[in-house]
Amino acid sequence: MKRDDVLRALAGRRRQSVVVTTMGTVRPWARLSDHRLDFASADSAMGHAADFALGIALAQPQRKVVCLNGDGSMLMSLGTLVTIVASGATNFVLFVLQNDTYELTGNQAIPGAGRVDFAGMARAAGPLRTSRPCRPFSKAWVPSASLSASSAARRGRSDEDPVRPRPTCVRL
Amino acid sequence: VIHARLILDELRRQDVTDVLGVPDNASKALLDLLAPEPAIRLLTVTREGEAFAIAAGLWVGGRTPVLLIQNTGLLEAGDALRGTAMRMRVPLVCLVTVRGHARMAARGLRPSAESVSAELLSQPDLDSVAVLTEPTLRAWGVPWEVVSTDADLPQLAAGFRRAQEGEQPVAVLITTDTVA
Repeated sequence: MKRDDVLRALAGRRRQSVVVTTMGTVRPWARLSDHRLDFASADSAMGHAADFALGIALAQPQRKVVCLNGDGSMLMSLGTLVTIVASGATNFVLFVLQNDTYELTGNQAIPGAGRVDFAGMARAAGPLRTSRPCRPFSKAWVPSASLSASSAARRGRSDEDPVRPRPTCVRL
Repeated sequence: VIHARLILDELRRQDVTDVLGVPDNASKALLDLLAPEPAIRLLTVTREGEAFAIAAGLWVGGRTPVLLIQNTGLLEAGDALRGTAMRMRVPLVCLVTVRGHARMAARGLRPSAESVSAELLSQPDLDSVAVLTEPTLRAWGVPWEVVSTDADLPQLAAGFRRAQEGEQPVAVLITTDTVA
């Protein structure tokens, strides 16, 4: 499964959901969506996009909040998986786009590349307190690696990309 | 001493909706009061950096969060503070309990006045995190107030005021244990 296929499918179904992107998903998502409920964490704290998105979800329980996280970012704050479950949020969907690399810095391998099981770690974080199909992870939603090093490197060069993702500081 | 009830009263006056953080001994009495508090949601996180980012999201979503963390966790959370609450100009009050303050005071040292050095940071009768707290806040551009007794509690209100006026995070350093 290619990343852009996932994002395209999601863009067609997001409706009034808040979408938080970070790192490698920021610009691909911005090419697909210019919605007032898009928030890009491109310049935000590394590894904390899911936390930021969780905060919005807790503040706005009537909305669905989607975070498009990367695998390297997720590894930086694995405790967040436990906090998400403990928070009781039922309107939060966390995607981990797993390509096993730090894509923006040149596709260096993440720790545990090829072996780390994010879905397993999410299940181990505790039972989900939801009666709706709000699945922080499932294998069906974790795309595998699909980008070559060269194309990924090109995507990371913001000076060639006219897309300007929506900033994170606009209050809902 | 600082009576936790008085801090809670101020949080209510400020219409705080959420308190996020990691427990420590100094904040225990306040946490005991917050746990059953119906108007304020208490969310325990796994690391303090999470708290800054979640608080930023809560604020974007229209809530009024406050952090309750120890100074050790504050130092751990520097990049999260920088990249979320500071970057987004979130008027976030951070209640920071100051581990090691008593030892510094016993030595006659003033945290904001001491020069940070390897010699000072390695002294066995000092807690180096207390030495680093105020210089770190200064370096990060975070203003702070100090609350050491009940009589200092107007500084808590001042912290909320500074956060709103400056549209930025403000630390309120709590230098003694809260009590019931």
